[in-house]
Amino acid sequence: MAKDRTDLMQGTLELLILKTLSHDTMHGYGIAQRIHQSVDDLLKIEDGSLYPALYRMEERGWIASEWGVSENNRRAKFYKLTRAGRKHLDAERANWDRISRAVTKVLQTA
Amino acid sequence: MKDLKRRLFSPIGSEAIEREVKEELQFHLDLLTEQHLQHADTLEEARASALSRFGDVEQVKDECVEISKRSRAFMRALKSFFILLFLAGILVRIFSDELHVDRVGQMLIAIGVMGRLFLYVRGLKPAVFRQKSDTSSPLMLNSTYKAPTSLFDADNL
Repeated sequence: MAKDRTDLMQGTLELLILKTLSHDTMHGYGIAQRIHQSVDDLLKIEDGSLYPALYRMEERGWIASEWGVSENNRRAKFYKLTRAGRKHLDAERANWDRISRAVTKVLQTA
Repeated sequence: MKDLKRRLFSPIGSEAIEREVKEELQFHLDLLTEQHLQHADTLEEARASALSRFGDVEQVKDECVEISKRSRAFMRALKSFFILLFLAGILVRIFSDELHVDRVGQMLIAIGVMGRLFLYVRGLKPAVFRQKSDTSSPLMLNSTYKAPTSLFDADNL
């Protein structure tokens, strides 16, 4: 049976979330919208999959959450990047660049 | 001050955790439904589209509750440990007559207070002490995506 999903590297979603939160404090829906806009249909992301990732990232201390009031006057949980998260983002970004350059190099020589 | 109150008195029971997770997911689903309502004929249709984009709500909820519980249980244990150290230090100081035992009491108090302060100030999370989970990424490449050919068209180069 053909596999109809192609898993990306672990940590990719976390990287996208960290980058999305690097400029703004946002609630889960806002993060999902921003990622959908950025990836422009290249990746399929179920919105629900963001939440376990967000909770795990908060557990690791990369992001922090706080309940507040949303733009439509409803109670919502907002997430923001912590200092540890910013450090992790920088490290993962560098890592991603290195891997991407390495794989591209191999593909070009093959 | 508000943050201090929230940290001290935030609900820690399982029901409270589940309620918070449900509220957060419901908020997302409601906004998604609103968004899909612009292109759907009926509310049911919009809800179905929202659910399809969201994925398995129950599974997501269970996973979030589990992570949240695990995280809070660990923190509670760590906080209790430092409080116990502090209390032990006080007891040692009260009941000890010898100087070197008194010093041990002072040390226990200092470790208890500093540990508790450190947890509060840094918001130290349990995962710092744990290995990363090995769950695979929920991201998928979109197999239906077609790159805009005009960008790569020889005529355009």
